[in-house]
Amino acid sequence: MRKLHVSSRINRWAYLFILPTVLILLVFRFIPMTAAGYLSLTNYDLFSRPKLIGIRNFIDLFHDASFLQAVRVSFTYVIGSVIPVWILSLLLALMTVKLRRGGGVFRTLIFIPVVLAPVVVAVLWRFLYFEYGLVNEILRFLGFSPVPWLTHPSTAILALIQIGIWRASPYFMVIFTAGLQAIPEEFYEAGRMDGTNAVTEFFYITLPILKPIFLLVIVISVITALKVFEIPQLMTDGGPAGATEVIPLHIYKTGFVYFKMGRAAAMSILLFLIMMVFSWIQVRLFSENR
Amino acid sequence: MVSKKQRVRILLFLFLFIPALWATVPILWMVLSSFKTMEDIFRVPVRLLPDPFYWKAYPEAWGQRNFGLYFLNSCIIALSITIGNLLICSLAAFSLAKYKFLGRNLLFLLILSTLMLPLEVTMVPLFLVVKTLRWQNTFLGVIAPFLADPFGVFLMRQYMLDLPNELIEAARIDGMDEIGIFFKIVLPLVQPALTALAIFIFRESWNMYIWPLIIITTENLRPVTLGIALFMSNYGTDWNQLLAIATIAMVPMVVLFLSLQRYFVQGIVLSGIKG
Amino acid sequence: MMQKRSSSVFLNGILFLLLALVLLPGAMAGGQKEGSKEEPGVMLKPMEGVKGPFAGGGWTFPSRPIKISIWWHEYAPFTKYVKELADRYQKLHPNVTIEQVVASQADLNQKLTVALASGTGPNILDQDISFFAAYYDKGVLEPIDLQVFGGAKLSDIQNEYIGKALEGVTFGGNIYGLPYQANSMSFVHNLKAYREAGLDFAKDAPKTWEDLKKVGAKLKKVEGGRTVRKGFDFPYQSKRWQLQALQPIIEQFGGTVLDENKKSNLAKEPAIKALELWRDVTKVTGDPKYSLATPSDPNVDFIDGRTAIWYTGPWATNQLKERFGQPYTDWAFTSIAQLDPSRPKTMMYGFTWGVNKDKPAIEKRIAWDFVRFMLANPEEWIIKASFIQPRKGLMETKAAKEFPYIDVHLKDIETASWYVRSVHTNEIVENVGRAIEMVIFQGIEPREALKAADAELSKILDGK
Repeated sequence: MRKLHVSSRINRWAYLFILPTVLILLVFRFIPMTAAGYLSLTNYDLFSRPKLIGIRNFIDLFHDASFLQAVRVSFTYVIGSVIPVWILSLLLALMTVKLRRGGGVFRTLIFIPVVLAPVVVAVLWRFLYFEYGLVNEILRFLGFSPVPWLTHPSTAILALIQIGIWRASPYFMVIFTAGLQAIPEEFYEAGRMDGTNAVTEFFYITLPILKPIFLLVIVISVITALKVFEIPQLMTDGGPAGATEVIPLHIYKTGFVYFKMGRAAAMSILLFLIMMVFSWIQVRLFSENR
Repeated sequence: MVSKKQRVRILLFLFLFIPALWATVPILWMVLSSFKTMEDIFRVPVRLLPDPFYWKAYPEAWGQRNFGLYFLNSCIIALSITIGNLLICSLAAFSLAKYKFLGRNLLFLLILSTLMLPLEVTMVPLFLVVKTLRWQNTFLGVIAPFLADPFGVFLMRQYMLDLPNELIEAARIDGMDEIGIFFKIVLPLVQPALTALAIFIFRESWNMYIWPLIIITTENLRPVTLGIALFMSNYGTDWNQLLAIATIAMVPMVVLFLSLQRYFVQGIVLSGIKG
Repeated sequence: MMQKRSSSVFLNGILFLLLALVLLPGAMAGGQKEGSKEEPGVMLKPMEGVKGPFAGGGWTFPSRPIKISIWWHEYAPFTKYVKELADRYQKLHPNVTIEQVVASQADLNQKLTVALASGTGPNILDQDISFFAAYYDKGVLEPIDLQVFGGAKLSDIQNEYIGKALEGVTFGGNIYGLPYQANSMSFVHNLKAYREAGLDFAKDAPKTWEDLKKVGAKLKKVEGGRTVRKGFDFPYQSKRWQLQALQPIIEQFGGTVLDENKKSNLAKEPAIKALELWRDVTKVTGDPKYSLATPSDPNVDFIDGRTAIWYTGPWATNQLKERFGQPYTDWAFTSIAQLDPSRPKTMMYGFTWGVNKDKPAIEKRIAWDFVRFMLANPEEWIIKASFIQPRKGLMETKAAKEFPYIDVHLKDIETASWYVRSVHTNEIVENVGRAIEMVIFQGIEPREALKAADAELSKILDGK
């Protein structure tokens, strides 16, 4: 790429253009974020003046059974939802692109769940998962026995994972579609001359080109899944028996219900670090392959 | 005789039909059920179509709260945040994509890192900031913290990286100033990305819940999501009314998406390419 | 490369930390400005038609404009009534403006917590009494202002209330809130279901848990392998309710949730037996997964006929009247089932008004005066909101006599102990709820589930 000629006069404009973003993020994100970092080292209970207690909150977390359970739940949720999301969203994108005419209609229909507000999604699926709701009626119709979706620990997390997949796959489908549509037709033509079939075409042409997008999707999907909060809060409030209490919900309860904001802040710093490490690994993988 | 191409088409249609049903049937079911009477909703075994067709849940639900005002408030909040982001994010993106300056990479990294901390914990400090500014219980307090979405900066930057530098150079040589370049050259060229960002931000801000709950105390400033929550909190809510309100709340987003979805995909096409 | 970046991130972090440190303490301290003592005003006369301390008066009501705020949780008839009371008060004192905020119970908790934490809370707050121990502990509450009660003594106020009604709001010998609603938990029965099952309510209404198992099994209706009606079911829509239901059973077995030193009793025999009973009753009468109840709509299964006997409080009366119509021949309240009906144990919980300490003195006084004003007429609370104030003499009022099954509710209040009160109530609720759900939904033995809950809770109560 040709480098731009840069004079100091123009440089000032660069700073000016980025200033509003920097100011807004400084005031409304960095200050609160840093404050959360500071609070994680205190015994802040929301009402009294915070007192520094060092890293005790962090040490306590490793003995905190309910936090460790929340970590397990979150990892189950992330792994259970993101892998199907990757496969499904890529498949959907491939199919709609391949279809060309009519593909856009399918894409639109499949995308609709993404635009719904969490509070609407919660109402909707509570209604569908009910003992005699639509999902169980369909199961009955097909000859299966009904499933106590939201009331059994092992099915409740599945029920939430299903909603997660339902909301996330269409979103990443669009991102994959974007990537697929940007692959020049000549690549495929060249491949065809080398005698590729649909399968080898996918593995030798499409997938390598899509790799950067795939990595972007991996990072965003994992971060989104780790941050899931409103749907579990509204649908199960973490129950039954803590089976759906993901880390953000546990953080919320610790801070606002049990009034242990210092400890809650420590948890979110930990969550933040997990996400940073994960993104860093992705960046490393990405740059190695460049 | 069906050609191979047509066979593939038919197969694709069949395969895509299932996810399309999966995505839409739950929503259709909600809409259909909102037209059922209370007895009909939980009838065993279920019936597909409302019988009798009962539309009164809509006026009943609508009339219980000041939903007209809540919708207006949601529009004000979502539109302000969206327009603000379009301008502020693309300005920052322009700066990050087309200028070289000290600390550029660090700034970009810092901007991206703010994506990762959940609101649940920064909420109290954030509230204290807004309180210090004396913006509690105002639209400004709801809107201002969300005027520069880091993901928006990221999206616009990716898109702008692909704009040819020659275009900008040429404009400079013609004597156009930097603001002119941004508004007259860059913005028109990134329109698809702007549309994608608009939909993305509008969705986020229309669906916002906890933050307005914390900030807004006056009844008159409530957005729709809070209205629904309040509606649900009334002991003995009728399900058909609840579903009716959920349906109404869904409509603006779906309409917006359907009318802009062409640009939406287009907008992500180029932005998504670079990691 | 990465190394270098992260170190500069770190440096920037320190810079922001400094900024935050400057900003935080100032914002968190909140302001407690004292109003001047010599306010110009007029001598307030006692309220007409009200006897005792709640008539108020006898102090100088300021004449300058004053604004106070009140937040409460949404419940349609309650909301309507509080708004009406505010209007009346503002008419009586045109210089007072009352800012009113309503939110759902869950939302209100959230909002109130952030607001109190940041010193922007309302003058008057509405809360479940079980929160008050924590609020008192955190120094949020202003003690009662006896001046606005016509200079009454603390004992005069206590004399206005029945039994242990003020126990939940009394700390260190002073009163920090006044309850507007005391709810004993009782059984409500669907009499249509009784008739349909060939039962006679007058004769068959269960008095003991063994009765309940028999009657509940008869009321339970299963068609083609699916439950169409549950005979009886315990609450699962919120963990708060689960403890409400478990606590009296533990007490019937001779135990308590916490011991006198506020330590966990969950691993002891009474708790285990109580949870075993819970499980055994559920097996024959209930079907927990067949439910549409939510924390904000707990009675819905009973109202829609999915449950024949349900566990709820007097506040449900409005909803019952609305759905079942008059006369009240289709539903009835009784006391909850007992182990030994001659020594009944029930429970009650309540909601209370409290006054925010973090406000100017004059606002706190007006806030207490408005609380007094609101509570002055207990009879009206029954008529307009279906809420029973735990006040003496209420039973003799016309409204109380007309309130269906008031005798049941007042008797239950007499035999009730308060919902567990602790600085850690929310954590107790969470852990007990988890244990119950493990037993009911996962099939884990009550002894094991409670042992786990006890271990977790003990750590919390020991301040670990």
